[in-house]
Formats: sequence, C-alpha cells, structure tokens
Amino acid sequence: MIWQQFQSLIGSYPLALRGLGMTVALSLISLVVGTLVGFALGILRTGGNQLISRAIGVWVDLIRGTPFLVQIFLIFFILPELGIELDAFTAGIIALSNLAACFICEIVAAGIRAVPTGQVEAALASGLARWQRMRQVVLPQAMRMSLPPLVGQYVLLIKDSSVVSAIGLTDLTRVGWLVVQRVPNGLLVFAIVGIGYFVVCYPLILLARRLESRMGAAHGEVQL
Amino acid sequence: MLENFSFRTIVEYLPLFGHGFLATLWLSIVSFAGALAVGIILCAMNLQRSRLANVPAKIYIDAIRATPLLAQLYFLYFGLPRLGIVLPELVVGILALSLNSGAYIAEIIRAGILSISRGQVEAGIASGMTYMQRMRLVVLPQAFRVTIPPLLGQAIVLVKDSALLSLISVSELTRAGQLLASDRFMPAEGFITTAACYLILYYGLKGLAALSGRWLGQQSVRSRT
Amino acid sequence: MIEFRGVNKWFGALHVLKDITLNVEPREVVVVCGPSGSGKSTLIRCVNGLESTKDGDLVVDGHRVGDPATDMTELRAEVGFVFQSFNLYPHKTALENVTLAPIHVRKIARSAAEAAGREMLARVGLADKFNAYPSELSGGQQQRVAIARCLCMRPKIMLFDEPTSALDPEMISEVLDVMVSVAEEGMTMMVVTHEMGFARKVAQRVVFMDAGAIVESGTPEEFFSNPKTDRSRAFLSKILRH
Ligand SMILES: Nc1ncnc2c1ncn2[C@@H]1O[C@H](COP(=O)(O)OP(=O)(O)O)[C@@H](O)[C@H]1O
Ligand SMILES: [Mg+2]
Repeated sequence: MIWQQFQSLIGSYPLALRGLGMTVALSLISLVVGTLVGFALGILRTGGNQLISRAIGVWVDLIRGTPFLVQIFLIFFILPELGIELDAFTAGIIALSNLAACFICEIVAAGIRAVPTGQVEAALASGLARWQRMRQVVLPQAMRMSLPPLVGQYVLLIKDSSVVSAIGLTDLTRVGWLVVQRVPNGLLVFAIVGIGYFVVCYPLILLARRLESRMGAAHGEVQL
Repeated sequence: MLENFSFRTIVEYLPLFGHGFLATLWLSIVSFAGALAVGIILCAMNLQRSRLANVPAKIYIDAIRATPLLAQLYFLYFGLPRLGIVLPELVVGILALSLNSGAYIAEIIRAGILSISRGQVEAGIASGMTYMQRMRLVVLPQAFRVTIPPLLGQAIVLVKDSALLSLISVSELTRAGQLLASDRFMPAEGFITTAACYLILYYGLKGLAALSGRWLGQQSVRSRT
Repeated sequence: MIEFRGVNKWFGALHVLKDITLNVEPREVVVVCGPSGSGKSTLIRCVNGLESTKDGDLVVDGHRVGDPATDMTELRAEVGFVFQSFNLYPHKTALENVTLAPIHVRKIARSAAEAAGREMLARVGLADKFNAYPSELSGGQQQRVAIARCLCMRPKIMLFDEPTSALDPEMISEVLDVMVSVAEEGMTMMVVTHEMGFARKVAQRVVFMDAGAIVESGTPEEFFSNPKTDRSRAFLSKILRH
C-alpha cells in the first residue's frame, strides 16, 4: 500500500515542481523588492525628519503586531473593493514584500544606529555631503552588522511564503494540501514538502550562522 | 465600500470576536507553556556531551527552523490520524505551536546559558560546588534574566503564528474575522477588527517586555552595587 | 582666519562656552589647554560646525558659521579636523581613507587622488602601509593616517582635538613630529593639547580655558614661565609634574 502511495506521489511530481517554482518565485521577487524598500525605509527611519521616521515606525509596528495571514487577507480581499484589481500572485508579492521591507527596515536602522558617531563626525568634518556620508561611510559599516540578521530574515521570508497558500496560490505547501486529498498519507506528503523547504532554507541558516560567528570573531579586532 | 464601513455589523459580531480573542489568548498561553517545556528538554539534551543526546536535539531544532510552521501543522493534522491518533483540531494546533516554538526557545535558553562568563562557572568550581549546584545557583539564575526579553519576543511570534490554526478550523481570532467576512461579505470589517484584536495582544506583550526590561535593569544595578 | 566674538553655548542648563572672544590669524598656531571638561573640545568643534553656537559671531575664513547662507559642507572641506580617537574608516584601507574626500568632495580623478594620497602617506612616514586597514595599524600610525587624510584636502585650517591623548607614550613623538612639520609649512592651526614641548616649539600663542571661559592667553614663554592666574598655575603644576 505504501508502495502504491509512493507511485502515486511520484506521479504528482510535475505538480510538486510547479509548487516549488511558485515558492521560489514568490520568495525571490519579494526578497528583492523587500530588500530595496527596506533599505530605503531604514535610511529614512534614521534620517533627520522626525515626522517621516515616526510614520515609518508606526507602520512597521502595525505589521510586526499582526499575523501575516491577516495581512494577506486584508490585501487580497480589501484592495479590490478599493478599486484595485489584483490576482492572488500580486497580492502575495505585495504582502510578502511589505513584510520583508518592515523587518529589513528595522535591521538596517539598527545597523546604522550602531555606527559610532565619530565615524559620522569624521565624514562631516571632511566635507562629505549627506548622501556621500551615508553611501561611503555609514552604510558599509551598517551592512557588516546587518548581514547575519538579514540572511536570517530571508529564511523567515521563504517560510512565510507558505502562508499565501491560504489565498489559493499553488505553492509547495498548497501542493501538499492538494496531494494529501488524493493520497491520504499526511506524514509522507508533508515530510516531502518539508524536505523541499529544508533544501532551500538550511543552507541560508548555515550561512547566517557563519556570518554571525565571523562577526563575533572580528569584534575584538576592530576596536577603534 | 469603505464609505459604508459598517461598525454596526462589527458590534453585532463583537461576542464572536470576544470569544475568539479569549481563545487565542488562552491557547497561546497553553502553547507557550508547552513550548517552554519542549525548549528546556531540547536545550538540556543539546548541552549534553553525549552525541546520543545532542545530535537528535540539533537535528530536531534545525528541521523545525528550516521548514514553515504551516507545513508542520499540516504534517500533524493530516499525519496523526494515519498513526491512529485522532485529536481535536485545537489540540493538534496547540501541539504544533508548542513543538515549533520549543525549538526556538531551546536556542534562546542555550544562548542565555552560554552568555554566562567562564569566570562565573570557575568561581563556582573554585568554591567546591557540584555541576548541579553550579547550574542551579550560579548559571541558571543569571541565564534566566538574559532570556526574559527574547522569550517575550518569541511569545509575540507565537501569538501571531496561532492565526494559522484558523486554517484547520480552530475557532480563534482569525477564524472570527473569516466568519464575518464570508457570512456578510464584509472582509474589511472582519479582518480589520481581527487585526485590531491582535494589536491589543501585541502592545500588551510589548509593554510587558518594556516593564521586565526596566525591572531587570534595576535588578542588575542593585546586584552591581 | 578664525574669529570668535562673544560666543556662548549651552548643553541644556550647562553653560559650556562663556562669552568667548578669540582671533586666530592666518599661519598662526594656537594651543588650547585647560582642565578636563573646561570646554576645549566644544570650542574647536564649533569652528567646523560639529557643534552649533547659541549667540555671538563665529567667522571662519570669511564665512559665518551657523548662518543659513553659509554652505557648511564647503567650509568643512577647507578645515581639517583630527580627532582624539582617530576615527579612521575601519572598512577602508589607509589609502582609501585619505582619498575618499578628495574624490567625492573635491571631485579629483581617482588616479590623481591616489597619487597625491600615496605622496601624503609617505610624507607622514607610512609609505609601506598604503593597503593596511586601520585595525592593522598602531595608534600612532592611525593618527598619522588621520592627519594625512586632512592634508590631502589641502585645507586652509587644521584643528586638532587632543591628538596624542589616546596614544601610548612611545608613539606620541611620531605624531607630534608630523604636526610640527605641518605647522612649519605655515598652516593655520588650533591645537587642543597638553604637550607643552609642542607648544613651545611651534605655537605663537597658548590659550588657557577653565569652566568654559578663556582665562588667560599669551605667548608660550609668558604662559609657562609666568602664569598670571592661580588656576593656570595650579593646572601647570599638575601637568608638569607628570
Ligand atoms: N553632547 C554633550 N551633551 C551634554 N554635555 C556635553 C556634551 N559634550 C560635552 N558636554 C559637557 O560640556 C563640558 C565641556 O566638554 P568638553 O568641551 O568636551 O571639555 P574638554 O574637551 O575641555 O574636556 C563638559 O562638562 C561635558 O560634560
Ligand atoms: Mg575634550
């Protein structure tokens, strides 16, 4: 019987590949968009304008304070009623990118705040303009701090992409859900789904760990 | 449609949201207690010298961290009956949350214990304490204080994660929003109310974190002087 | 070149600079000394606008500091600042540290900036350290890179805030030697330091500060051999004993 189930599962491999493709596409697109927007928000968050900084802070808090599933429902069901037509894929991308941007904003802002004031003063004193100070002096140092949590955030993003299956996108998790209706062996089906995610996420987890321990080692050296 | 946003309907559904709010609250508390138990056991195993103990713990922790909670939830939901174990959805949900958060909590506790300086442990050894005494009297009390803030962070994550239980029809906060959305075709009313309820829990836990931070700050000042 | 006229500054309720009036002529070297917390750092940080002043006038190279019409970025390019803690960019090599501002502020071509940077690093005795990162350099070497970083901008004025206080004793002279050579080339300098040997050698004037005010001002000979106030006498006896 297990053998029959296996054969039936092997028969579903095109579906599984489509699911994996969808998961990778969702994650990759929102990773790029989320990182770009997140960096911009993080820079604005630590910039001089109190009003903008506050507004970003409130938005980030709202996103951090609510479940991602609820955010997806809000975007998918409410935007159309505001006259913005969107399919499930676009809704998923918007929700995931927004989530990533908010978390990355905080990571980047923390990195920027951790750059010693002496660095900014040295850049100021040599006549570098605001954007040059950011680009040449602050951001490269903030990046060093932010890299491990950033990679960790990408892992969370890939995992969170599973939640968009709730609005019917055929990603890896949704494929598992569909298959398990035909092949009633949840342990087997979702173990395979799990392996799919593991293969993508685990190398990133290892990378984050390595970056972190390397940074811990470098900490003692670069003491100005 | 937002111009005819119906507060009336929300008021009408308020009992349902109240029920969902309490359900989310208590199932989170139960799951968090379970997660603490799982986390402590995993961490204890992980810190053992014997590979027989620490390798399974490491594999478990990595497997949980590298896969989504939703897949884990479906694994239990569709998988347990296969083993002849038929549990109510709510129990499956609490089990999934505990097993998932437990892996993260194990890492939090481990980081707390490893943050205790070697000097502290050596002071314990020098004064003739046994391993258990050192753990109980020197390491754990200090580790406990470092772990409080990240544990509260994990509690926030758990509360938000519990929304996924609505997908296996556990009646909690998100489910209440879904019901209002589908019964009356009012997704805005349903999900905005749901979000607002989660924000109450979020700011509550955040306040608690700030409070504990201040309390721990005072403690450390007192212990330093 | 640098003119303070009745400048005051507060940090909240703390009155850090009290009615400062001071004029530094072109090519003049002024040493500022005084007890810790007397406002020396605040004084020279005002000159390039790292601190803002409350009232009074501060005119640097013909530009009023704090005037909205003054382009501070432009002014800062003309004023070099050497910090007590060096503040080299840790992610850039020595050569990248000294060429950053020439390339981005002065818009000098990279190749020309690098040639000038190498020359300047060689001048401060670091010809073999172009590609070293700050973490690979000693304190004295880092401070010399910091001075070269300022010199590469061809500034009209150089400010030094206790440039040798963070250094081990054996490295102090290598930094002072560079500062002396800069002074001898005719740079306008304000130097916060307790190195009296340096003051005697190149300073035209020593300014003594206490509790936010300039208490005494005179030539090094006058100041060291014949301090006029009790407070400067007490201060001198303290630093000379070491
Ligand atoms: N950013 C600041 N905020 C508040 N007080 C400051 C700040 N910077 C310096 N002070 C205070 O101003 C006084 C003068 O400081 P400073 O100019 O650094 O003195 P000095 O360089 O002579 O040691 C000190 O009492 C110091 O505590
Ligand atoms: Mg000072």
